[in-house]
Formats: sequence, C-alpha cells, structure tokens
Amino acid sequence: MVLNIGPQHPATHGVLRLQVKTDGEIISEITPYMGYLHRCFEKHCENVTYEQVIPFTDRCDYLASMTMNFGYVVAMEQLMEIKVNDKVEYIRVIMAELQRIASHLLGIGAFGLDLGAFTPFLHMLRDRERILDIFEMTCGARLLYNYMWVGGLSHDLPTGFVEATLNFLDYFEPKVDEFENLLGHNKIFVERTADIGIMPADVAISYGVTGPNLRGSGVKWDLRKDDQYSIYDRFDFNVPVGKGLKGTVGDCWDRFYVRIHEIRESIKIVRQAIDQLPKEGDVHQAMPKKIRPPKGSIYRRTESPRGDLGYYIESDGSDTPYRVKMRSPAFTALSVLNEIGAGWLMSDVLGILGSLDIVLGEIDR
Amino acid sequence: MGLLENKFTDNIIVEKLDKLLSWSRSTSPWFFQFGTACCAIEMMAAAASRHDLMRIGIIPRSSPRQADVMIVAGTVTMKMALRVKKLYEQMADPKYVVAMGSCATSGGPYWQHGYHVLKGVDIVIPVDVYVPGCPPRPEALIEGLLKLQEQILEERPLTRKIG
Amino acid sequence: MSEDKEKIISEAVEKALQGDMDAINNIEDRVTRSKAKAALVKAKRTNVVADKDSTKENNTSKSKVEEKINFNQALCQKISEKFPDSIDADQNNDWIQLRPENWLKIAKWLKSDEKLSFDSLQCNTGMDLGEGVLESRYNLHSMKHLHKAEIRIIVSVEKPDIPSVEQVWRVADWFERETYDMFGINFIGHRDLRRILLPDDWEGWPLRKDYQEQETYHGIVVPKVKEGWE
Repeated sequence: MVLNIGPQHPATHGVLRLQVKTDGEIISEITPYMGYLHRCFEKHCENVTYEQVIPFTDRCDYLASMTMNFGYVVAMEQLMEIKVNDKVEYIRVIMAELQRIASHLLGIGAFGLDLGAFTPFLHMLRDRERILDIFEMTCGARLLYNYMWVGGLSHDLPTGFVEATLNFLDYFEPKVDEFENLLGHNKIFVERTADIGIMPADVAISYGVTGPNLRGSGVKWDLRKDDQYSIYDRFDFNVPVGKGLKGTVGDCWDRFYVRIHEIRESIKIVRQAIDQLPKEGDVHQAMPKKIRPPKGSIYRRTESPRGDLGYYIESDGSDTPYRVKMRSPAFTALSVLNEIGAGWLMSDVLGILGSLDIVLGEIDR
Repeated sequence: MGLLENKFTDNIIVEKLDKLLSWSRSTSPWFFQFGTACCAIEMMAAAASRHDLMRIGIIPRSSPRQADVMIVAGTVTMKMALRVKKLYEQMADPKYVVAMGSCATSGGPYWQHGYHVLKGVDIVIPVDVYVPGCPPRPEALIEGLLKLQEQILEERPLTRKIG
Repeated sequence: MSEDKEKIISEAVEKALQGDMDAINNIEDRVTRSKAKAALVKAKRTNVVADKDSTKENNTSKSKVEEKINFNQALCQKISEKFPDSIDADQNNDWIQLRPENWLKIAKWLKSDEKLSFDSLQCNTGMDLGEGVLESRYNLHSMKHLHKAEIRIIVSVEKPDIPSVEQVWRVADWFERETYDMFGINFIGHRDLRRILLPDDWEGWPLRKDYQEQETYHGIVVPKVKEGWE
C-alpha cells in the first residue's frame, strides 16, 4: 500500500512529504516530495543588489545563518578580489564555529526527539539559547543575523564579548560529555540507530552527500582543510570520521558520533581564535562603496554544518547579480534517502531522516 | 456547543454561563504546531526550556483534531496553501488562528518577487491575531497568545447575536 | 608585513623544522605567533620553508591560476582528441564549452578515466542568456586528484535538449529535475523528468528572463511583482 507521511509533521524538519510504499511494516520505496517552501530565492537574487541578497541567504538555512552568509561573502570576495583584514577573518571564524555548535545541538536534539527522547532536546535547546544570547549581544538578532557583509561585518564586537564567550565555553565543555552519555550511549538509542541506514562511501560520493553525513561513512573530507578558505589553516583541529564503534561504518549512530565530536572541535577552534584575536582593526575597512563586480562567474564552496554549501554567482557588471545559484547540502542529503531507507521498518525510516539533519528551507530555497 | 450556540437572549443565567464557558476556553488553548520555516524554530524555542509556554497552559499538539489554536509560523506557499485550508477545516470548533511572523501576515521579505509565495495566510483562512517580526521573539509570540486569550475571554458563545 | 617580522617567522620555522619549538612559542605578539604556526604546518606539508613575503605570496597565487589554465587547456585538448567535433567554441581559460550531442559519452569517460577521475558533480546551474539561448553548466571535481573543471552546454529555446548524465553521477538526478523545473531544459534519457520544486500543474519556467506569472492557481490569485506598497 501507498502511505503518505504528510507535509505537516512536528515542526522539526519542516514541510516535507514522503510517499512510502509499504506492505504494512517494511518499507520498499520512499519518494520525497518537496517544494512546499519554495520561496523563489533565486528569482529574488536577480532583482535586488548584491548586499540585499545577504538577508535572503539567511533565511534559506535558518538554523545556520552565519555560515550561509559566510559562504556568499567568501564567494563574492573571491570574485571581486577583496582582501579583508585579520580582525574580520578571526571574528568570522568565531561566529561560524559558534553557529556550527548551535546548529549541531539542534540537529542532534531533533534527532533524539524523532526517536522519542524528549529530555536531551530540552537540554540542548537550553544551551543553544546561551549561544543565541552571544549573537544577540553582537548583532541584535537571535536567528537571522545579516551579519557578514561583503568586505567586512555589520557590527564590531561589543565590550564583554570575549568574557561572555569564554564563560560560555567553560560552562559548555563538560556538557558535551554529558550529552554524549545521555543520548549516545543510551541502550535504547544505540539499538535504534546502530546498524540502521548504512550508507557506503561510494554511494555517498556518487549521490553528492557531503559534510557530517559523508564523514560518518568513513571518508575524511572537510572543506575547511581540503579546499582552504579564510584563515582555517592557522588553527589546529581534527576532522572526526565515523569508525563504526557501535555497529557498521556509515550507520545513523556514526553520523551522530561525528556531530558530537565536531562540537568539541569547534570549541577548540573558538578558543584558539579568541586567543589569537587582534585587538585593533576596523571591520568596515575593506568594504567597497558600491559593489559592482567585474563580469564573470565563480563557484565557491564552504563548509556549513550540513555539508558543502556552494554559491554559483554570475555577474554582468551591474549592481544586481545576473544569477545566483545556491547548491545546498541538504538537497543532496535528501536524495540519498531512498537508497539507504528502503528495506527498513517504518520507525527506522524516521530515525534515518533525522540522522541526515535536513532543513527544508535550504532544500526548497 | 453547536446546539446551544447563539440561541438565547440576555438573562442572568446565560450571562454567568457565558462567562464560565469563555473563561474555560481561554485558559488552556492547545496549539497546533504548523511550522513551516524560520518562525517554527522560534515557536519551538518558545515552547522549550527558557520561555516555557507550558506554564501558561499552552501545550503543542501534533494533530489538528486535538488543538484549539493553529499557529501558522512561516511562509505559506501556493503549494502549501491548499493543505493549510484542509488542515484548518479539520480542526474542531471553536478554533482560532494566529499568524506568526511577517511571512504569514503579508508575505514577508518575499512580497516583491515571490511568484510562489502567498502574500499573507489570511487569503485562505480567517486569522484572529497577527504577530509581527521576522522572526518574532518568543516573548512576542507569548504576548500574541495572551492577547488571543483576552479576545476569547470577551466572547459570548450562548447569547444570540442581534442585528 | 615588516621585514624583521618575516625574518623572525622564517627563523623560528627553520628551528622548529629541526625540532626546536621554543623559537615559535617565545614570539611575543599573538598574531605573529599564529602566523608562524601556520607557516610551520605548510612547511611540513611541502618540505619547503614558506616565507611570509608578499611578493612570494603573489607568485604562489599566480602559479595556481596558471596551473588551472594549463589544466583546462590540457583537458580541452584531450576531449577534442578523443571526441572530435565536440568542443563548441574557442578554448577558454576558465571553462570548456561543449556541444550537447556527445555529452553522455564524454561524461562517462571523464568519470572512468584514471588520470582524470571526476567522480563528483558539484553543481549544475541553468542559465538564461537572453535572446532565446539557454545554458546548462556543470562544475566537476575529483576527490582523488583534487582538480576541478567547468563544462558549459548551450541550447536554444526552440530545441532545449541535452543528454542526461544521471547514470554517471547519481546526484544529477535531482539537479537536472530542478533545472528542468526552472528553465524548461529537456534532459533526454532521464528516467523521471518532472517538476521538483513547483507543483506539477504549474505553468511556465520561472527563472527565464521573460517569465510571466499565471493568473490563478486553483482559485488563488498568483501574486505578481509589486513595485511599491499597495
């Protein structure tokens, strides 16, 4: 029979419709239907100026807005050959890594929520609120920041930022171990996620899956190290890779494991960046008065918490873009759902969907 | 309430009964979490640890049959508009709608070139309270829900409406 | 950067390469210390001491651009040798323009060839170049050899047919559906070409420059472009 897991389900992932063919318990085919949140992002980009595109990029992946801004700004600065000063680079890295922690917290919390674990979700949201407080102190917004501009930032760091961030990191670091214990080594969670939804490495590469999903399958590929951008070469951090500790390599538990360890690595990077943060510097120094890139096109990818986010920008010399295409990581992550989800039970499929950590705003744009 | 609604003229028994009914309806409106986009995250944050909606008596329910208030959080597109209408019709009376965020109010930042974006959810369903913001803070959503409670408190379900 | 700072960094890196980390750790200024650490990492990777001299930096970025141009020209040469008459326009430094006919065979060869092994399709973008010309652009990348290429194919609005490469890279399945949805480019050989983001009964190809919105959709008026507040 054909069943519908409809466009409205509890607001974690958004409006996604899954049509499943099942014989009662075991699912033989899953077809995702999307487009319920298609907000014509690319059409808007063709009609507004280059700076006005940035708030629209925020709203695509609303759980990781800083990294969406970062990707666009890195692509634009490469197209226009602008070099920003060190202070801007360090602040951008701090914000991007804090945003990565916040996004992973919500991703893991929602994953647990899908499987029925309500408590870790509340704990993780409580800690995420503290990160949002830091962001609010800097740029005034809790969720959609519009913070990184082409050539600089919108606001400088306020006084008390460094103390607040260090306080938060000192408070938060033991909590990561607590979360790993509470959710990751919980017997029920392990039985529901280990050996389920196995994604082999070649399937992942062929389907274009990147980010923590690819690293969970054992492939060591991180754009911060392999396709260098910004100043990530000045920091010392590892890239966690799924090893199949509780089951096979590439199952749902591995993807969870990669995300928890990425939180730890991000904490390391933020500490190093705060340590090296230059005191002087004007964040508006390299911002051009009028953004008019030369004619040409560029494709640049950066590492967002969901995978590699690519922007293909084509400019025709005027002050509005000719075409902006966002290559979203969650789009390709969802396409692999049929391959790894078919053949499992109904309750497993929602777990697999949760482990892929998709955001519908980015898929539908 | 269908049999007795709007059947009676003003008298002391009906007035006291009216007040009791509208008070009981207003104090625990369970909301139907219809989150589509970014505002859904703020709705979840409003229901989570820091701004706790459950202490006011407002609990999230996933099924339209069990809910009183539908919070439309996020952009409604043309593809989704038909489903929103269906879900609204599936809710049981008495039902209320809160349009959260500027996308649900009037199309939001997509008002100019969005060919697929519905400019305001009140084109397809009747809305009681509009909460502006992009996204509105959880405190703003709580204020919107409290305003809805005040609005429900003023209703007189049993009295016949004259004119 | 000033001369003596570069000297300090290069001396410290040399000492550290021989095993003495104190030289780097004793640098007072935080920014200089971090730059020294980064230089050490680079040096260990390439076995060459990288000076923080600005002219040398220009040279490395210039050589990267030259490498890319050389690679592109070499790739263009290889394609025209193996599949004659497939290159559409004159050689360009940044991308390769192909004709649509042999695209599937070229794609299979690009993936399977040992020296190239483009095993991932990064992005597929559709373009409306105006005056009835549509284009589909493919960004390819090799995870093994870490080189990139961009391929562009031009078709006209009257006959927008391009062979589909979804058998070669599975990710092209949904990318091509999206390009079809937004531009109307027909991918021949795709097993299930239908709209992915817009509803199935939507009319028109939205991202074309001459797109006109339809009047109503299931009874709801489709919003048009608004110029001001109403």
